[in-house]
Amino acid sequence: MAVINVTNGTQAILTVGSNATLAVPGNAGGMVVPFVQDITVNASPGTVRYSTLDSTSSSAFTTVNENSISLNLLVDEDIMFGADDSNVNTVIDKGLFVTSTEKTEVHFSVSVTGTGTTGDIFIAGKGFIGGLAPTASVDGAVWLSPCELIVNGELTRTFEA
Amino acid sequence: MAIRDDLITQITTNIAAHSNVSISQELPFDQSGVPLYNKNMGTIYVDEQDIVVEQLYRTLDQGEVNQSTTTVNAYLSVDAKNEYSDINTVVANLLIARNVVTNVLDKNSDYETDMVDDVITYTFEYNFITV
Repeated sequence: MAVINVTNGTQAILTVGSNATLAVPGNAGGMVVPFVQDITVNASPGTVRYSTLDSTSSSAFTTVNENSISLNLLVDEDIMFGADDSNVNTVIDKGLFVTSTEKTEVHFSVSVTGTGTTGDIFIAGKGFIGGLAPTASVDGAVWLSPCELIVNGELTRTFEA
Repeated sequence: MAIRDDLITQITTNIAAHSNVSISQELPFDQSGVPLYNKNMGTIYVDEQDIVVEQLYRTLDQGEVNQSTTTVNAYLSVDAKNEYSDINTVVANLLIARNVVTNVLDKNSDYETDMVDDVITYTFEYNFITV
């Protein structure tokens, strides 16, 4: 039992791919999103509360999960707007911005404990890129943007073999 | 070109109309422990630039986005009993010399005075921040 230290630069890394294999952490064809300042994995089951006459407390039942990944990043030119036109991973070609505007579904993973070691944990899923709002200011000096991956389906937890 | 060189060039231009003030490119400007600006009153000496690099943004992948602060000091001593009539203009022209440096996030200049015996020493500090 130990807290997960994220200060060595290999944990909490987001990898995006046009298919599930490309999005696995450590895959050479994956698009690793650099300059991420913070990342949040939202895995929330929906709930409905109801009251009954025989109880002084409300009860609840679960509905569907609503999952998303949210992050804030410094805008890297290639990652945001695309690198070239020759990659198997089309997300690299188009970048986050065009992939978002074209509403293309992407696969992704968030490495939790790093990558390359047996037992390393990552969270994976697929969904749509949204929430991009690149902002520039004199005080900020660089472009900054929030980003959200609206998950289509369930998030999975995987241990590296 | 280094920021110090740019400043010297601009200060030279800005004080051209002030015949009682000149500028030296000399480094170091110290003779037997005595600063030359105290010996050669009316001559501006510009020190070598100092640079401090700090991390501007921290990221989870340890990407480097750094901020560099370049500091340059300049010195001018004048006789307190016979201060130049145009000293305020000279000081103003020295302060705005910072505008010669472009492509920086922030630039500012200020000065302070120090009086020892009959000598007033103006110490100018220029700061330039780049990312």
